[in-house]
Amino acid sequence: MRLPEIDKGDGLGKQLLIRFISLASGMRLPDAARVAFYHKAFFKGSMGALTQAAMRGASDWTVGERELMAAMVAKWNACPFCVGAHGAIAAKQMPRRLVDDALEDFEAADLPPGLKATLSFLEILTLRPDDLTAQDASKVLGAGVTGEAVEDAIAVATVFGIITRYANALAFAIPTADEFDRAGAMLLKRGYQ
Amino acid sequence: MSDFSRHAPLVTALRRAALEAPALTKPELRQGVAARASGGPVIEAPYDALARQIGEAAHRVTDAQVQAVLTAAGSEKAAFEIIAAAAAGASLLRWDAGTKVLREAIDATT
Repeated sequence: MRLPEIDKGDGLGKQLLIRFISLASGMRLPDAARVAFYHKAFFKGSMGALTQAAMRGASDWTVGERELMAAMVAKWNACPFCVGAHGAIAAKQMPRRLVDDALEDFEAADLPPGLKATLSFLEILTLRPDDLTAQDASKVLGAGVTGEAVEDAIAVATVFGIITRYANALAFAIPTADEFDRAGAMLLKRGYQ
Repeated sequence: MSDFSRHAPLVTALRRAALEAPALTKPELRQGVAARASGGPVIEAPYDALARQIGEAAHRVTDAQVQAVLTAAGSEKAAFEIIAAAAAGASLLRWDAGTKVLREAIDATT
């Protein structure tokens, strides 16, 4: 269910800001950004800091690889908004076809072995966390992924485990493919804070 | 992997902000919601149904579940806090599980 205050903005300043950004960009400001503006006294600072660090901070993973991980977590959590949004950003860093192949079947996609092993780990983490074992982590390390990089991937999955859940619970509106593409360009440029 | 984790301090800050810091809803309620969303014990209605649903399959959350929490919590901001706490609880469980097995795997090789 959508919350009207998130839609329109809580307070005149945010209402004007949402209208201004929507007018300037020529598209409806996506719900993820509206939530980021909403009730800022509650948990937004720490959520923004973790998201920025996970998605844009120092890491062995490229920005595109992390955006693909985010899209994969969104797929496993059945969140069409985040699949569209983060698939679009990933597709600015790697071929669109590769992103689509990964979303269809990452095991069969032409991805580096370390990334595939990491996605296998994240799939269990996302869908069946109680089944996760040290052996699953060992397989990723055995594929040549460093411990720091595995933790970076877990951080991405943690962030998007949160975002996909509230996006679904709040029934985020789904932008068009063109709008996802334009919003993705903005997120690529500006990051998450 | 060194003892220093670049994400753990940020995750700790997020956990505190979502579940422990003063807000419109009581921390005890948000902590109960977070625990329920990660498979914990039943909590009071109507929070129980929404928390469990967000943890298990948020795409199946119904308008009625959100509306019931909105009515009980008293405002949209309070309802948002409950939804965010449930989402955080379910996901922090995964952070804890993932980093635990990663640490075990690394320890097994050293």
